[in-house]
Amino acid sequence: MKLEGTYTFNAPREVVYKTLLSPEALKACMPGCERLEETAPDVFESVMKIGVASVKGTFTGKVQMKEKNPPAAFTMDVEGSGLAGFMKGEGRVELVDLGGKTEVKYAGDAQVGGLIAGVGQRMIGGVAKMMVGQFFKAMEEQLGKGGAR
Amino acid sequence: MKPAQFEYFDPGTLDEALGLLREHGDDAKVLAGGQSLVPIMNFRLARPKVIVDVNKVPGLDYIREADGMIHIGALTRQRSVETSALVKAKCPLLYDATYWVGHLAIRTRGTVGGTIAHADPAAEYPCVLTALGGQVVVKGQGGEKVVKPEDFFVTFLTTSLQPTEMVTEVRFPKIPPEAGWHFMEFSRRHGDFAIVGVAAMVQLDKQGKCTDARIALCGVGGSPFKARTAESMLKGTQLTDKVIQAAAEKVGEEVEPEGDLHGSAEYRKHLAKVLTGRTLKKALEKAGKIQ
Repeated sequence: MKLEGTYTFNAPREVVYKTLLSPEALKACMPGCERLEETAPDVFESVMKIGVASVKGTFTGKVQMKEKNPPAAFTMDVEGSGLAGFMKGEGRVELVDLGGKTEVKYAGDAQVGGLIAGVGQRMIGGVAKMMVGQFFKAMEEQLGKGGAR
Repeated sequence: MKPAQFEYFDPGTLDEALGLLREHGDDAKVLAGGQSLVPIMNFRLARPKVIVDVNKVPGLDYIREADGMIHIGALTRQRSVETSALVKAKCPLLYDATYWVGHLAIRTRGTVGGTIAHADPAAEYPCVLTALGGQVVVKGQGGEKVVKPEDFFVTFLTTSLQPTEMVTEVRFPKIPPEAGWHFMEFSRRHGDFAIVGVAAMVQLDKQGKCTDARIALCGVGGSPFKARTAESMLKGTQLTDKVIQAAAEKVGEEVEPEGDLHGSAEYRKHLAKVLTGRTLKKALEKAGKIQ
């Protein structure tokens, strides 16, 4: 499953970069995030409740940030699993300075397996895209409050 | 396959059912025909803690004409719609769409309220309801409210329905006598989920000019897609092949489907265009032929 897109924030690049990597902001913005901890530098472990309507599952996952090039880019290694299935993926995030505003470009590829991939295949791409949208929208609110410095 | 453990209630009145929903909130799920809920429970994709079976609630199984619309009780089986002379005569678009809802066995159990509340992005009834601009009647603790389809369907399997609320009635507008209608969908096998489906109605005046057009698609996003731009392209024109083609192309451009195992996003866009064109032509052929 490929996911890519752009989102423009009304904040300077340094602030957007810091906020995207801040545990507090991530916790507030990740849809269904119940727990998120930085267990080692740049490694986050989380518990998320993911899904739509009654089709929801709890996933435990790990996100590792790597190839960091502040404030221009970073790569995320993501893996997670739960009763409904598992996923593993990698995504590259790039931040483009638009003079006070910042365009965030993301491109990733994820392998999804288990029940959710078999039975939920029909909707999984759309739901993933929707969740990315929710994440960025919540990030925008965080940045509206000043973001991480 | 067996579902995860749950607590079961079968209330005998609507008030009792709503009381249970209030008590259990997000943990509860309403069971009507069970044609979507039971499979996802058996696959263990859904693990509701509480099931509120509304099959014993009286007064929710009817089809009647009122205020220019066809009012259908939430617990009415899709099979009852299929065999209703009233639906066939006054809302033939709904009648035609019913043919595409799963298989006979599914329609015999599946309910009108159930398919609306479940909000599967490929489902036919939400698409027809969106095309025609019908109404969803919702009951909750605060009483009754009437919700428009565009305010009801939010995204994949998600509606604006609160955990304490229930759909009690669905209202489909009648097709005017001088209008034509058609429903068409494409899937690999009949009865499968639609890859793309189209519901359309066109209304003509005596000179053959289009005075109203209604188009909605299923299978191209999280909720039914109302093709407003295409509708306005048709209104006020003679529906020539060229006009229909242009409207169909607009729909193909505007929809933003996701790709999956059954078809890529590009394929779905193409299908949306081709099926819209065919559906509109069929609708035009039927204009003025209502009983």
